[in-house]
Amino acid sequence: MSRHWRAPFSLLLSAFLLPLCASAANSFENTAIVRIVDLGGALVHLTTTYAIRALEDGSNVYTIALGEQEHGHTSWLEAKLKGQTERLPLEDFGYHKDSGVYLYTVELPKALNVNQTANLVIETVQTHATYPWPEEAAQKDPQSLKYHSELLVLSPYKTAVQRTKIKSPSPQVHSYTTPESVEFTTDAVVTKAGATITYGPFYNIPPSATGTFVDKKQKEIVVHYALDFPVLEVTKLERAAEISHWGANLNIEDNYHFHNAGPRLKGHFSRLEHQSQGYFGRPAPHVIPSLQLHLPAGIHNVYYYDLVGNVSTSALRTTPSIPKGAEANRFSVLEMRPRYPIMGGWNYSFTLGWDSPLADYAGFDSKTGKYVVGVPIMTVIPGTVIDDAEVKIILPEGATDIDYYAPYPALSERISTHISYLDTVGRPKVTLKYKQLTDKHGGVIYVTYKVPSTAHLRKAIASATALLGFFALGLAVKRLDTRIRRK
Amino acid sequence: MPLAYSLPSNLSPATVTNTSSLLRIISLALISGAAIASRLFAVINFESIIHEFDPWFNYRATRVLAEKGFYAFWNWFDHTAWYPLGRVVGGTIYPGLMATSGVIYNVLHALNLPVDIRNICVLLAPGFSALTAWSTYMFTKEMKDESAGLLAAAFIGIAPGYISRSVAGSYDNEAIAIFLLMFTFYSWIKALKTGSAFFGTLTALFYFYMVAAWGGYAFITNMIPLHALTLILMGRFSSRLYVAYSSWYAIGTLASMQVPFVGFQPVRTSEHMAALGVFGLLQIVAFAELVRAHVSSKQFQSILFGSVIGIGLLGALAFGGLTYKGWIAPWTGRFYSLWDTGYAKKYIPIIASVSEHQPTAWPSFFMDLQFLIFLFPAGVVLCFRELRDEHVFVIIYAVVASYFAGVMVRLMLTLTPVVCVAAAVAFSSLLDTYIDPVEPEASDAAASPAEGTSAAGAAAAASDAGSSKKAKKAAAPDPGVASGILAAVAPSGSGPKSRGIFGLDTRGLVVFNALGMLLFFVLHCTYVTSSAYSSPSVVLASTNPDGSQHIIDDFREAYYWLRQNTPEDAVVMSWWDYGYQIAGMADRPTLVDNNTWNNTHIATVGKAMSSSEEVAYPILRKHDVDYVLVIFGGLIGYSGDDINKFLWMVRIAQGVWPEEIQEPNYFTPKGEYRIDDAAPATMKNSLMYKMSYYRFAELFGGNQAVDRVRGQQVPKTGPTLDYLDEAFTSENWIVRIYQVKKEDPLGRDLKAANAFANGKKRKKSKPLSRRRAVA
Repeated sequence: MSRHWRAPFSLLLSAFLLPLCASAANSFENTAIVRIVDLGGALVHLTTTYAIRALEDGSNVYTIALGEQEHGHTSWLEAKLKGQTERLPLEDFGYHKDSGVYLYTVELPKALNVNQTANLVIETVQTHATYPWPEEAAQKDPQSLKYHSELLVLSPYKTAVQRTKIKSPSPQVHSYTTPESVEFTTDAVVTKAGATITYGPFYNIPPSATGTFVDKKQKEIVVHYALDFPVLEVTKLERAAEISHWGANLNIEDNYHFHNAGPRLKGHFSRLEHQSQGYFGRPAPHVIPSLQLHLPAGIHNVYYYDLVGNVSTSALRTTPSIPKGAEANRFSVLEMRPRYPIMGGWNYSFTLGWDSPLADYAGFDSKTGKYVVGVPIMTVIPGTVIDDAEVKIILPEGATDIDYYAPYPALSERISTHISYLDTVGRPKVTLKYKQLTDKHGGVIYVTYKVPSTAHLRKAIASATALLGFFALGLAVKRLDTRIRRK
Repeated sequence: MPLAYSLPSNLSPATVTNTSSLLRIISLALISGAAIASRLFAVINFESIIHEFDPWFNYRATRVLAEKGFYAFWNWFDHTAWYPLGRVVGGTIYPGLMATSGVIYNVLHALNLPVDIRNICVLLAPGFSALTAWSTYMFTKEMKDESAGLLAAAFIGIAPGYISRSVAGSYDNEAIAIFLLMFTFYSWIKALKTGSAFFGTLTALFYFYMVAAWGGYAFITNMIPLHALTLILMGRFSSRLYVAYSSWYAIGTLASMQVPFVGFQPVRTSEHMAALGVFGLLQIVAFAELVRAHVSSKQFQSILFGSVIGIGLLGALAFGGLTYKGWIAPWTGRFYSLWDTGYAKKYIPIIASVSEHQPTAWPSFFMDLQFLIFLFPAGVVLCFRELRDEHVFVIIYAVVASYFAGVMVRLMLTLTPVVCVAAAVAFSSLLDTYIDPVEPEASDAAASPAEGTSAAGAAAAASDAGSSKKAKKAAAPDPGVASGILAAVAPSGSGPKSRGIFGLDTRGLVVFNALGMLLFFVLHCTYVTSSAYSSPSVVLASTNPDGSQHIIDDFREAYYWLRQNTPEDAVVMSWWDYGYQIAGMADRPTLVDNNTWNNTHIATVGKAMSSSEEVAYPILRKHDVDYVLVIFGGLIGYSGDDINKFLWMVRIAQGVWPEEIQEPNYFTPKGEYRIDDAAPATMKNSLMYKMSYYRFAELFGGNQAVDRVRGQQVPKTGPTLDYLDEAFTSENWIVRIYQVKKEDPLGRDLKAANAFANGKKRKKSKPLSRRRAVA
């Protein structure tokens, strides 16, 4: 899981701070909490709006709580004030053992006085929160998923009103839970209108981020809904970006392992049915026949192959480079057709690579004498989760003073040596590893490094020396007399 | 002396030598470039991919070598091939090719050039073709001179007969073997000429490399002894021959026995006995020469007479006895099939079922060699005219290789080098004659205007005549042949000085014609290479209506599906043609593959394919088969599919189970091979037929389904399958994969279970429990 927030406190420190936190529970109250759940395939987007009111002067640290299950699925979390685009700083307090919840604190841009209010919007993205149900579907069958969630939004503060709205991507909702004996409401617990299911409103909820509340009052809800789009997962993505100063080239090579996480194909694949579905224009929802990838503009020498060779079924449309600084609104589009349609439960892997002008990505900082190269972490595929990602950035041979700035910290990072064509000492390689990346995680890793001009000449000198040595050897051998007896 | 055109006279001999040597180097470099470039059509038109069938195994083995090291490769037991038997790869292959790629791979990686092993494998054959051109140059240089050598190098570089087995991606033993063949022959000739043990050893070393690389080494094993024997019979025994042959045979044989696949064959099989016999004979002859130097000639006569008869009888008896006792293996079937083209079809149908083992059709000689094929005899005649030791070699080589090329399409490959050499000798003699500026002296030739005009007339006629006649006539006015004819016609004719060509025009005509032939040769080679020999056969190409290339990629689609979506130990059964490809691309165990060493196992697959489901099912289950793969071209008209190969499966199965499988049952009473309504019941019930046409008719949506390969109408109600399930069909239906069902959990017969699942009523009259799924 990769998050963009800091986790600066050691476990000890957080244990020390937590009681403090709990005591601070009196500093706010929630006048309203509205959670909107946008159901999807591999990803579920949650937007929770907290309307908060300060109970003490100078309150500026708001605490939010995630239940254990919820926390396990969440891979992206960001806090904003409503109507503003700036992210608020988040701090991770980790697992709070007594109450069984994970706590995060949001630092408000300015402290609130008594009775002042603010609207805090927390956006989270959940991965692997849904699963196909039924687990198997024949080729003609529709696709349905189930989503499990908790009924009430946990908060360490008192809450006046709370609602949860679950929006299904299609109005076809097969079933949803109607929880029994919920005590905070008198009306119907749940109402459905079109594709939206609304739980609540629930009134006057006490501070709920406690173990007893979670055990006694929390309810689980399940929504079973139809999805018309395939559920694509990337089980593994390896990206290697190689920077070449001699070639003024940034080569990016991605190694994808796709998996169709929709319902497993029941029985076997029938080409006849697949072809007739295509003929009548009614493709099955859980089949991935092709995939559109938005690659950067200005790329050339694009190649896509798998273990047995070129994927001849694909097509590419490129666009020229966009001037630096301009908004990236044009893309090269790769219409990637896997060798076979990816049915539910099937896998497919392939390698995609391209060259792009280094000038589009690199700059030179004359103050520090360092080069700055921005390497995109991934090609964003909307609605897709990347379970394991490894980004390798290979710098030119002889690069020193290497620094890198990732938009969110990696799970592991390492600098090693990579040896490639005509290298003598090898090139530095930065490896970053991530898990559970979503379409929100698209970002750029900035790498800065110095390359002394002697390092540029190293390759040329090395190959020239080798060739000269070879010729010298040839000269010597030609002049050597190996005859035993002179004639 | 009159000259037809003037030559610059102010050049020092050193300048001429240096310039010609530089020109030779540049020409050789260009020829190498052309040889490599013309083999790259496959990469440019398609991609850098391994072609066909056997190369896929070589590639797979090379990957093992590159990834795990030489010893792991040497001891590699491939348990995924010939399931459940497995295959000792290290002991059943010629490792030369893989070792060569492995060495190149390791050297490049040591130099920090991390080239992909696939690219090394793909480009190995073009690279070695450049070396072949060079070794052919060296060989031909020994026959005539450097200019003939350059011509031969250019010929072999682009001759389609050699390109057919060495395009980029054709990663097969022949890729390096032709270079080794030519270089071994070159060093043999060199050793014979100089009597040098060094070159004899070099011959032995390259012979060893050849043995490690290709089963065709037996050709060298018999060519060199044949040459030596001929020389002895011609009375040309010399110490040079003795040294060359003995050093070659002793070192070469010992070295060749180090290859595990060859082992003790060089002393135990009939194919190698000729070499041993000639070796013995040489010792005797050498000893006899020694004796002759010491005793008087009369005594020697009687000693010789007695000993020759005695030793000859003894040798023949020993050979016969050893063969009888089984110490020496008799000739193998493959060997017999070289002499009797009908032999394989009768006794070893597996060999006969391979298309490249068929006798050569006449047009393919022209297609593969173009004008070389009619220059070739002229070159051989010229060899007869000089008849030094090395020319005897070329003559023998030409005769033997011509025969073999006529027997087997595949052996066209061994013919090509000698054709190139002989044609180059002939062509360069022609050019020598007509470019030489020296004119016969007119004053001296008072009696010879007739001759002059006849020669000129011949040349003029040559320019008018058709292309085939052109060559013969062009070869005819060569000084040697012409003088021979003239000498026969007019024994009292003038001296040698009067022979020659008058004037620039005759020279121009002939040279112009010759150059034209060369030009057409280049065009022909380029055309044939690009259109006929550069298809990877893994990928099929067709053309879209707008002229762009459309790739039909069904094989890789299906193999990749197997690789990604089936368990790693799933056993795949298919006809043996696809075994190597499945192992290489799908990485799954196979029952049989292109290394056709076990006829019974192949016949088992043939039996399963050609019998009904009920009979085949126990066979499939006993062999743990999970998937069955068939190739079906009926939808898009791909004619190399399994239904067309089906009769071979039947024949091979019949060879082992003559009671159960009979070929005539697969024909209609009229003797036709049909798949439509008129097909016989045995055919319609066979597993192969069912798997090929399963649900095929439904694709046509009620219209009449047509099989485009056989041009026959497929029955509307297609076959049903009870013991297999369709698992995957590729986009153009070329590859169809079926999963073998497990036994019914309730213990019913699968047919009954299927009928029950489809809601069919059970017929009471038929007791079903009798048929159990697995014995």
